[in-house]
Amino acid sequence: MGLRSFFDRIEPNFTKGGKFEKLFPVYEMVESFLYTPKAVTSVAPHARSYVDMKRIMTYVVIATIPSILWGMINTGFQANSALAMMGDAIGTGAATGWRIAILDLFGISLDPASYFGNFAHGFLYFLPIYLTTLVVGGIWEVIFATVRGHEVNEGFLVTSMLYTLILPASAPLWQVALGISFGVVIGKEVFGGTGKNFLNPALVGRAFLYFAYPASMSGDAVWTPVDGFSGATALGVSAAEGVQALAGRGITWMDAFLGTIQGSFGETSTLAIALGLVFLLVTKIANWRLIVGCMAGMMAFSGLLNLIGSDTNPMFAMPWYWHLVLGGYAFGLVFMVTEPVSASHTNTGRYIYGALIGVMVVLIRVVNPAFPEGMMLAILFGNVFAPLIDHFVVQANIKRRARRHV
Amino acid sequence: MSEPMNAENKGAIARFLAAPPDTVSKTLFVAIAVCLVASMIVSTAAVILRPTQEANKLRDKQINILQVAGLYDPAIDISDAFEAFEPRVLDLESGEFTDAFDPATFDDIAAADDPELSRALEDDPASIGRQSRFRTVYLLRDDAGALDKVILPLHGYGLWSTLYGFIAVEKNGNDIFGLQFYSHAETPGLGAEVDNPRWKSQWNGKRLRDEAGTLQITVAKTAPPAGADYHIDALAGATLTTAGVDNLVKFWMGEEGYARFLDKLQAGEF
Amino acid sequence: MAQTKRELLVDPLFDNNPITLQVLGVCSALAVTSSLKVAFVMSLAVIFVTSFSSMFISILRNQIPSSIRIIVQMVIIASLVILVDQILKAYAFEISKTLSVFVGLIITNCIVMGRAEAFAMSNPPVASFLDGIGNGLGYGVILMIVGVIRELFGSGSLFGITILETVNNGGWYVPNGMLLLPPSAFFIIGLLIWGFRTLKPEHVEARDFKIQTVEEH
Repeated sequence: MGLRSFFDRIEPNFTKGGKFEKLFPVYEMVESFLYTPKAVTSVAPHARSYVDMKRIMTYVVIATIPSILWGMINTGFQANSALAMMGDAIGTGAATGWRIAILDLFGISLDPASYFGNFAHGFLYFLPIYLTTLVVGGIWEVIFATVRGHEVNEGFLVTSMLYTLILPASAPLWQVALGISFGVVIGKEVFGGTGKNFLNPALVGRAFLYFAYPASMSGDAVWTPVDGFSGATALGVSAAEGVQALAGRGITWMDAFLGTIQGSFGETSTLAIALGLVFLLVTKIANWRLIVGCMAGMMAFSGLLNLIGSDTNPMFAMPWYWHLVLGGYAFGLVFMVTEPVSASHTNTGRYIYGALIGVMVVLIRVVNPAFPEGMMLAILFGNVFAPLIDHFVVQANIKRRARRHV
Repeated sequence: MSEPMNAENKGAIARFLAAPPDTVSKTLFVAIAVCLVASMIVSTAAVILRPTQEANKLRDKQINILQVAGLYDPAIDISDAFEAFEPRVLDLESGEFTDAFDPATFDDIAAADDPELSRALEDDPASIGRQSRFRTVYLLRDDAGALDKVILPLHGYGLWSTLYGFIAVEKNGNDIFGLQFYSHAETPGLGAEVDNPRWKSQWNGKRLRDEAGTLQITVAKTAPPAGADYHIDALAGATLTTAGVDNLVKFWMGEEGYARFLDKLQAGEF
Repeated sequence: MAQTKRELLVDPLFDNNPITLQVLGVCSALAVTSSLKVAFVMSLAVIFVTSFSSMFISILRNQIPSSIRIIVQMVIIASLVILVDQILKAYAFEISKTLSVFVGLIITNCIVMGRAEAFAMSNPPVASFLDGIGNGLGYGVILMIVGVIRELFGSGSLFGITILETVNNGGWYVPNGMLLLPPSAFFIIGLLIWGFRTLKPEHVEARDFKIQTVEEH
């Protein structure tokens, strides 16, 4: 217990009256990350549960692991395939830079058929973005925690992981830093920190980048981090030429489901995301009503648009099972729609909230020409409506009960 | 606030002013007086300033035409420089000029809504709905009076808005001198880069049609099969504005647009 | 209402700013601030309209019947706005092309109506005139601050003069496209209000409700 006694020894420095009183949040953050908090509830009511905030957040991070791993493999696979297609060997053409040098140093091949090679290459793209997110976002968290005198919250670990997973691999690091700053400060801290944010901070950061730097966040050239290579996302292709055009590009539904397609880090593989979903549902972190609502809304509305049809807009004909596997729908459904703080808090409200997002995502994808990816905007839209939905659900309940007691 | 007044010592106006404001007669009086004074000021201003405003509108259009023809310089006298241009109303169907309208007053944007002068488009790649059968074009003559360039108006829908502009074509009817939009509301930083001088400079020297007379000019990410002479690079990140510009240029340079006029120009008829 | 002339002019700049404290006139602040030149002309127009409308209304204040006072105020304000619009169209055509719609909307700018109703109706003409200039300036100051941020980081220039050479023109600066979209002004004004209230805690209004916390024993 060397570490424990170290913490016990330095703790008086950080408590009230200590030398580093102001830095208590930092101490608390590190300590509670390593040990179970000592503080227990001392006044009524006593809610007894094994699930605390820390555990919820840890579970969500665990649920993203399949997506993280697959994200790295796929990013490396896309990069290595692009290099192979362009015929660039190590040190020539686009195959230059520090990543290639490191891979070369360890004798890791750039062969797209090698899973380990792909993983290593993808890891070298994931790591800098994730570290930047952690450091910059962490600094903001600590600043606000210190000034406001509350504790640094584990929620940030989730935010930073989700934020990284919805970025394209080629995102410039300074933009990553700006985006997470905006997400943490405007999306969360101005409203009072974790638990008081009515928007999802990771999405706020992503949306900021999307509108501020569209050239590096959307289009065809950003998904594979290789200079001079451009490949549209499957969703982008569908928007331009219709979903049947994907077959011509060698993309089957199974490819999209497994995730060997272009896209942001974590959103390509519906399978990996589904594994995360199972974990979240089994541990009851995610509320199944949100998932059901969102799926039903998406399926019903895309079905309706399939029936209506359109001569000029091929997206009308896109069936629900393609909506499910393309773009950010699956990722948003599992990790963003289910976020408990920004979603509706009543059970009836959860169905409505989910359905609203499901309808909106299809509407934005199909009808709006400028934003083929609708999930981000649909969820933010849903976030804004969540309190209103709750309000009406509560009012309806009050009315119902009032009628019963006349 | 107002001092107690001795009504007997004052005239009728002063007595009226000192009366409490909330009587019916005073309410009517104030309402009428304020409206009268206000409307007089406003209409005087409008009448006095109208000629300057009209001159500004004309000047703005002339500057746009001078710019697309590469003749604009903030130091020059606009109306003097514009003397070099001869406005003519063109009949798109025949490719001939018509004298049925006065080019100085003919408004081809308004004419597109006049069923007498326009037609509804069935195949409408530029998404403009109705097209005027007549358009005002500007002929630029050199010092010797020979035709040098023609400036043709064009418009079409981009992502959010209709783009209005001019294209300057050399006297051979095939080489592009320049293209410029004077009114649009595309996304700043993406579609609005149609105003970027670096992007606009690409148009200079490009060709409309190949040797066989087929329209080849293309605005796209990759060059068309006909070659780089017919290729304008896409606007980065603005797929739909690019497609809009491509469509509207193809439409106006094609059979529905200025094709017959360009034929005649190419044949050296003017 | 015993304010000195100086207070009438200076107070609305920061201490009692119409935008950041009273949160009035925000719509036009969103719309016209993506270019500093346009924001500047808009500020001048608002200063002109608020000062003169306040002055004229103050001159007439004892004659205006209370039943039609809002209409009389509107007529005076609207005439001044049309006058400004006509002058801009005649002498600043380039700017009036982008500004015309918003100049017309000065009529509905709550700052103008607010000063007319709250101050000019009960104060003498000179004080009202100064109060109008002060509030117009307060509006202008915020417009300028927002305009500097939006134009500098959104297009890399100030008053149309390039400061940061953008990538599209061969430079190094990647412009922030969101700052060119009107919603960005919401964020900037929000952050400004946050800043003002941190510096001057007396600006913070009382909470509508208080979140209960369980006291620790």
